[in-house]
Amino acid sequence: MYRSLKKWFPLFLLPTALAFLVSFVVPFLYGIFFSFCEFQTLDRFTFVGLDNFKRVLFSGQYNFWQSLGFTALFTVLSVIIINVAAFLIAYALTRNVPGRNLYRTVFFMPNLIGGIVLGYVWRTVINYGVLIPLLGKDLTYSSTFGFIGLLFVLCWQQIGYMMIIYIAGLQSVPDSILEAAKIDGASGWQTMRRVTIPMVMPSITICLFLSITNSFKLYDQNLALTGGLPAVTDEQGITHRLTQMLALCISDTYGNSARAHGTAQAMAVVFFLLVAVISLTQLMLTRRKEVQQ
Amino acid sequence: MNRVKRMPADQPAVRRSDILLSVIFAVLCSVYALPLVTILYNSFKDKEGIISRFFSLPNAENFVGFRNFQVGIEQIGIFKAAFYSLVITVLSVALILICTSMCAWYINRVESKFCRFFYYLCVFSMVVPFQMVMFTLSLVANKLGLTSPYTIPVVYLGFGAGLAVFMFSGFVKAIPVEVEEAATIDGCNPPQMFFQVVLPMMKPTYISVAILQTMWVWNDYLLPYLVLDKTKGFVTIPIAIQTAVKDSYGTVDTGVNMALLVLAILPVIAFYALCQKQIVKGVVAGAVKG
Amino acid sequence: MNGKRMTRIFAVLVAGCVILCLFAGCGGGETGAGKVYYLNFKPEQKAAWEQLAKTYTDQTGVPVTVVTAASGTYEDTLSAEIVKDNPPTLFQVNGPVGLSHWKEYCYDLKDTDLYRELTSKEFALTDGDKVLGIAYVLETYGIIYNKKLLDRYFAADWSTVKRLEDINGFSALSKVAAEIQAHREALGVKGAFTSAGMTDSSDWRFKNHLANLPIYYEYEKRGIDTAEKIDGTYLDNYRQIWDLYLNNATCAPTEIGAKTGDDAVSEFRKGEAVFYQNGTWSHGEIVGDKVSDEDLGMLPLYIGAEGEENQGLCTGSENYWCVNAEARDEDIQETLKFLKWVVTSETGTRALAEEMGFSVPFKAAKKSDNPLTKAAEDMVAAGKKPVGWNFTTIPSEDWKDGVGAALLSYAQTGLTDEGWEKVKTAFVNGWATEYAKNH
Repeated sequence: MYRSLKKWFPLFLLPTALAFLVSFVVPFLYGIFFSFCEFQTLDRFTFVGLDNFKRVLFSGQYNFWQSLGFTALFTVLSVIIINVAAFLIAYALTRNVPGRNLYRTVFFMPNLIGGIVLGYVWRTVINYGVLIPLLGKDLTYSSTFGFIGLLFVLCWQQIGYMMIIYIAGLQSVPDSILEAAKIDGASGWQTMRRVTIPMVMPSITICLFLSITNSFKLYDQNLALTGGLPAVTDEQGITHRLTQMLALCISDTYGNSARAHGTAQAMAVVFFLLVAVISLTQLMLTRRKEVQQ
Repeated sequence: MNRVKRMPADQPAVRRSDILLSVIFAVLCSVYALPLVTILYNSFKDKEGIISRFFSLPNAENFVGFRNFQVGIEQIGIFKAAFYSLVITVLSVALILICTSMCAWYINRVESKFCRFFYYLCVFSMVVPFQMVMFTLSLVANKLGLTSPYTIPVVYLGFGAGLAVFMFSGFVKAIPVEVEEAATIDGCNPPQMFFQVVLPMMKPTYISVAILQTMWVWNDYLLPYLVLDKTKGFVTIPIAIQTAVKDSYGTVDTGVNMALLVLAILPVIAFYALCQKQIVKGVVAGAVKG
Repeated sequence: MNGKRMTRIFAVLVAGCVILCLFAGCGGGETGAGKVYYLNFKPEQKAAWEQLAKTYTDQTGVPVTVVTAASGTYEDTLSAEIVKDNPPTLFQVNGPVGLSHWKEYCYDLKDTDLYRELTSKEFALTDGDKVLGIAYVLETYGIIYNKKLLDRYFAADWSTVKRLEDINGFSALSKVAAEIQAHREALGVKGAFTSAGMTDSSDWRFKNHLANLPIYYEYEKRGIDTAEKIDGTYLDNYRQIWDLYLNNATCAPTEIGAKTGDDAVSEFRKGEAVFYQNGTWSHGEIVGDKVSDEDLGMLPLYIGAEGEENQGLCTGSENYWCVNAEARDEDIQETLKFLKWVVTSETGTRALAEEMGFSVPFKAAKKSDNPLTKAAEDMVAAGKKPVGWNFTTIPSEDWKDGVGAALLSYAQTGLTDEGWEKVKTAFVNGWATEYAKNH
């Protein structure tokens, strides 16, 4: 019967494959091609080989390394905070806490609101509610403000999502195993380390994967909250945007000058390679751990 | 989620420490909801009131009623944006659900080399950041006419295919082939088989995929901003918000912006209130499959 | 079997839907008579352009589409739009720097009515003997003042400057500002100047427009009109005027990081400040209950450079129309007709002058009733030399942001010499780097 299915591909496979081809494969290959070109508009380009990549990586004239550092630090911190907090909240909310459904609802809610809207909500609250009345300064005064602000926004948004996944993981741990551990005289902490955490490892894998890629690829919130500011010009005359993350760096490089479009596209290719390497390594590492348990 | 285990009857009595936890959570949740609540009541104040006393409720001096909403609706056209956002989201999610579920079933049942290749291509597309294709996509979409709210769903189908095919495949793999074989003996052809046998079984996955894709499409900013035809005035809610807040040299009316934010958030909250259970289930199912 | 038919119908529907979606756009476009697509740069005039376009379409039946790019994204938007099917037929560049990027797309306007309508050929951007861009608005900025408040100052017994004509240089201006600031309660204001907000709705007034002055004087001294490197000869003057703005304002220097353009506007409109640095385009915003047209005047931006008694207001254009040479012929012709109508017809000239408040360099132009534009004309009539808009030669957006950030940090860290060194670095070194990077 699956042989007879094969000839039905125009119905089953073709629509998705076509859409995938035109909106992903073609622009993707096109994008790789343009990273080797200098171009202002897509119909006038000259092939320049690896020049764009050299400019991104070695010239120091673009904000690539600065924003990579910022993004990396931000990703590490936000992933830790989000996952630890989400796990703790999930753990507490799987106990018999009165009103826990309401609490879960509230924690999850920010996820449904888009990054642009969330960014402006927080920008308003932080600026008018905290920084301006207390310090007379706003979020773009220093990169520390911007960094902490971004952390707040992302944690606030993502903790609820990860919490839901952890709750599901925790609930799938059979009570009998927990009781057995209790009878064997394991302390609460031992049970957590030896029984609960290994059992919820699949949830941890997925939460780590999601939070790492979300933080690393962050764009909307970055744009809405600080727009990459403050900027500082160093001795060499190179302007660095101190709270600019990689995704924003790419579009700002594109926007800064019509001469830098090829460079921005090359930066996007490097960004893509980074994201691919990071997510694959992370998946492999934690999957291996899961198998071992 | 294993609901059976957690039936109230099985549960131990509420302990004192749990009550303490509940109090802590009550406080924590209030703080958590604070930003949204402040935005809500600030949308009824004038600019001075927002800037000088952000956390206090509106008073007689700075209360402006629905003026901010009126201005926001008139100037920014947020209803038009909401309409387009709705059209795009509904059409895209419907298209993604139908096409990718059929596709996932097909590539898992017809185990040709191409199918395997296509599957890995889909998985691969999930790690590609949007910045990689953003400059070229708008041109390709324009040349193919995928620039109106009624055609942009094709672009979303292409972009959503990765995750959706992946999630549906996870489910299809778990369906016992025997059921389908029995149906073949009854004389079903493949489309009948899919719509009468497979589709009903996949209902939970449909919900999960629908939820995740809805959250993505509704909130997406860059893709529609780059792809939609500007000459026809197509905007979505995130685009309208971004332009309203940024788009004016020197005339940012904070009050109106608050109202716009509220208008953007309200439908989402309403949606959440209506299908909260499905949303939570969908997120969990999506995560476990991923 | 009913299910069978249902299935078939459903399958056909799905396939049809996708195919329809894929090819819906391909068939359309590219037909019929010419049309106009204007990619507008100025968000303030968005509504006025849309209205004008509609009137034209009603009269002639030629479709005119106006799209306004979000602020700060004009070049990106243009890059993306111009390669599409149905690209903009009319766009704009900001001056020589912009033209150097876009000249391959510019239609030669030498033989057009639009070019013949120009009052002076110097308002055209040329490349060799080709005319590629035409300025469509002349704008002027300086220090807008509130006459009523300034007269009250002149009349006060504690003031040393007694006549407007005596404010003819930086020293007089700073004296006036300092005295107003010291007696602000007596005068009933909060400060001499409005807040120098450095959020992105206002910072362009300083990192761009005010920065024009040191650039202008340096270009004058070196006899050039564009530069690979800048010496920063007049940066101390730039500091003088920046200090004046910061020390004599409605707010403390540390607060400007949170002030918006709207803040400054509302301060001026409420009569809380006497001076406000901005230009002719802001007329509509600053007139209100406390400030009427008659109360408005504009002073030159004195920075203490030599020969500034003769300095006029900063007048120029960063808005040049270009017609897309790659558009279809019919579209180009319709665009030229539309432009001719805009600059010659009763409706068009009235919209430019009244709705948009523009002072335009075309022969048939109506006099704008914008009092700030009048102030600019009076200044020229009085023999003052207008300051050119040299900020259009600034090499990139990054340069402006670097200078802006340094100005802000200088204000927030107590106006120290070290802080000013950073402004200098951003100004001088940033210029060289950005120029090299983008040429």
